[in-house]
Amino acid sequence: MTSGGNTSGARYVRSRRQFLRDTAALGVGLAGLTGVGGLASACGNGDSGSSDGITFIRYGDAGAAKIWAKMVELFNKDHPDIKVTVRNIAADSWAAFFDSVSVQIAGGQVPDVVHVATEGQRLFISRNLVEPIDTYIERDKAELEPYFKDVHPNLIKWTNELTSPGEETFYLPHGFNTMCIHYSTEIFQKAGVDEPGDDWTWDDFLTISRQIKTKLPQTFAMAVGATHFAGAAPWLFTNGANLLNDDWTQATADTPEAMEAAEFMRQLVAEGLSPKPGGEFDAFTAMTQGKLAMFGGGRWPTVTLRSLNYVDKVKIVPWPQKTKQGSPVGWDAYPILKGSKNKDAAWEFVKFMCSAEATKLYAEQTGTIVPPLKSIAQSEAFLKNAPAGSEKLYEALTYATPIPSPDEGSAIEHSIIDSFTQVLTGNVKPDAALKQLNQQIQAKL
Amino acid sequence: MPGRFARWRSEAAYAYYFLSPAYVLFLVFLAGPLLAAIVLSLFHWELLGSAEFAGLANFARMATDPVVGAAIGNTFLFTFWSVVLHIGLALPLALAVNRAMPTVLTYFLRTTIFFPMLVSWAAVALIWKYILDPNYGFITHYLQRLSLPAPNFLIDNAWAMPAIIAVDLWKTIGFTFIIMLAGLQGIPAHLREAALVDGAGPLQRFWNVTLPLLSPTLFFATIITFIGAFQIFEPMFIMTDGGPGNRTVSMVMHIYETGFRSFDMGYASALALVVFVVIMAVTLLQLRLGRRWVHYD
Repeated sequence: MTSGGNTSGARYVRSRRQFLRDTAALGVGLAGLTGVGGLASACGNGDSGSSDGITFIRYGDAGAAKIWAKMVELFNKDHPDIKVTVRNIAADSWAAFFDSVSVQIAGGQVPDVVHVATEGQRLFISRNLVEPIDTYIERDKAELEPYFKDVHPNLIKWTNELTSPGEETFYLPHGFNTMCIHYSTEIFQKAGVDEPGDDWTWDDFLTISRQIKTKLPQTFAMAVGATHFAGAAPWLFTNGANLLNDDWTQATADTPEAMEAAEFMRQLVAEGLSPKPGGEFDAFTAMTQGKLAMFGGGRWPTVTLRSLNYVDKVKIVPWPQKTKQGSPVGWDAYPILKGSKNKDAAWEFVKFMCSAEATKLYAEQTGTIVPPLKSIAQSEAFLKNAPAGSEKLYEALTYATPIPSPDEGSAIEHSIIDSFTQVLTGNVKPDAALKQLNQQIQAKL
Repeated sequence: MPGRFARWRSEAAYAYYFLSPAYVLFLVFLAGPLLAAIVLSLFHWELLGSAEFAGLANFARMATDPVVGAAIGNTFLFTFWSVVLHIGLALPLALAVNRAMPTVLTYFLRTTIFFPMLVSWAAVALIWKYILDPNYGFITHYLQRLSLPAPNFLIDNAWAMPAIIAVDLWKTIGFTFIIMLAGLQGIPAHLREAALVDGAGPLQRFWNVTLPLLSPTLFFATIITFIGAFQIFEPMFIMTDGGPGNRTVSMVMHIYETGFRSFDMGYASALALVVFVVIMAVTLLQLRLGRRWVHYD
C-alpha cells in the first residue's frame, strides 16, 4: 500500500508521501506560507540520502565510534569503493530506538541498513520497511555457507518462524543475548556462601540470598527488575510461563505459573533481598562497592565490568530453575531498507557483518552481544577478559525462549514494566496485576 | 485626506514590517502545525505507510480509550494544584523579597528562587529521581533517620502525583515569582503611603491597595500557569513513565505514547486537538471571569 493514491473499496487511501504533501500543502495554503517545517521536510523523497555509499543506523551512543570505525575499516579492505556512514541513536530501550528510527524514516531520512533487535523485527516487516534478501542469499550461497554452518540453528529457526514468518527472508540473525545470573565471588566469600551450580533452583537461590542478607545486612542479594527481557522474563521462563503464547498472538500473563513467578519476585523485594524499584539503582557499580551480590544479565554487563576492573571477581551461572531451565533470548539483525538506493552495497555490508572476521572483531571490541557463530562464541575472542562462565550465555540458546515481540511490542513493553513495577512495590497483588496486564496485552494485540 | 491615508498606509506597512518575524514564527510553528494536526486527526496514519481517511473515528475512539479518562483527570488534578500552589506561594515569596532589604540580598534571593527555571527538565527530573530514590535517596535516608515512614515516592499510588507536583513547583515557581515581583514593583509607592497616612494596617493595605493593583499580574500568572501545567509532560515521562497504573499519565504524555510508541498519529493528533480546545476554552472562561475581579486602573 505504498503506491500512489488509489481506492480500496470505499476507503480513501493516500500514500504516505502524497498524504504528507497534501497535508503540508493545506497547512501552507491556509497559513499562506511556503512550508510547515516538519511536515514539509517529511515530504522528501523518502529515499536514502546517499547513492555513492551506504548509511547504517545502529542502537548505541557515540562511545562506540572507535569500534565501528574499525569495523568499517575492515569492511573497506574488501570493499574500498563503498563508503559506510555509521549513525548512532542513543536510546534507553529498543522501543525508544525504533521510535527514533521510524521518525527519521517518516521525515525522509531513510538509511540503507539498520540495526534491528528481535523487539523490532516484526514491526519493521509490518511497516513494509525492509527488503527481502532471498535472491541475494541464493546468489551468494557459497559465500554464506560458512555462516550457515556455524550459526546456531535455533537462531535461524526462530527468525524464520517468529520474526520473519512467511515466504520471504528479511533477516540473517546476528549477535544475541540470553539471561544468566552474574554473581560476585568476592561477596559470596565474605558471606561464607557456597557458589551455585548450573542446576540450582529457586529455593537454593532464596536460601543463598537470605544467607547473604543475614551475614552482610548492607548488601542486597539480587537486583530484581521490572523490565520484560532483563526483569520478569527469566523468572517466568524458569517456571514454564510466558506473557504471550508461542506465536505471540494471545496474552498468557494470567496463568498460575506466571503469577507464581511474579509472587516470587515480589518476595525478594519484600524481604529486602532486592533493592526497591523506582530509583536509580546501578547494579554494576553497586556490586563493585560490595552492595549487591547478584544481578541478571546477558553479555552487556561485561563492558561495564571491564571498565570497573571487576571482571575477575564475577562468575556467570544459568538462571535458577523452578520447573525447568529457562532464559529469554533476543537477537540482532541488519536488514536492508526498501528505501535504500544502494541495495547491492548494503547487501555486501550485511554479508560482511555475518562473516567470521567481522563477528570476531565485534566480539573482541564491543562485548555487548554473544556472537552467533559457535566458533567465535567458544573462542578467546569472546571468552577473554570476561567473567568466568561466559560460555553459558551461548549454551543457553539450547533452552532459551524468544522474547515475545509482536508488532505492538513497544506499547506492550510499557504495560509490562508498569505492571511488574507495581507488583514489586506491593501496590497491587501479583494475581490482580497479571490479570489486568493480560487484558492490556490482549487489547493491544 | 489622500495624504493622511498614504501616511496611515506607510505607518501600517512599517508596523507589519516590524511584526513580520513574529507573524512568520507564529504561522510556521503554531498555525501551520495546528492546521496539519486538524487534517491528521481525520486520518488513520501509522507514521510509516499509507494514510486512510477515518472521518471522526479518532474522536469517537476517545470514549472507549481507558487511558484518556485517567490522563484528563490527572492533568486537571496536576493543573489545579499547580495553579493554587504557584499563586499561593509565589505571592508571599514576592511580597517577602519586595520588602525593604539590602539590594544584594534581594538580588541573591531573586536569583536563587528563579535559578531552577534555567535548568532543563531532563536534568531536574533525574536529580529528583536520585533525591527520591527509595534505596539510597537523600529524603528517604533522613526520613528513616527520623524514624518516619519513607514511601517509595515515585511508585507509591498515593505519593506519585504529589511528588511530581512538588518537583514541578520547585522548578517552575521562580517564573511566577518573578512575574509577581515585577507586578509588586509596578505599584506606585505613593498609594501605599497614602493608605498608611490614612491609618490602614498592613493587612488593610494589602487587601485594599496591593491586591487590586496586582490583579492584572495575578490574572496573567494564573492563565500562564494553567496553560503550562495543562501541557505538562517531562517530569511524568522521565520520573514515573506515567505510572503507577496510569496515575501520573498526562494528556500530553498520552499524546506522545500514542504517536511515538503506538505510531498512531491520527489519534494522537485528535488528542492534541482536545488539549488545544480545553486550554482555549478555559482561557476564554478565565478572560470572561477576569472582567469581574481584574482592575486595570
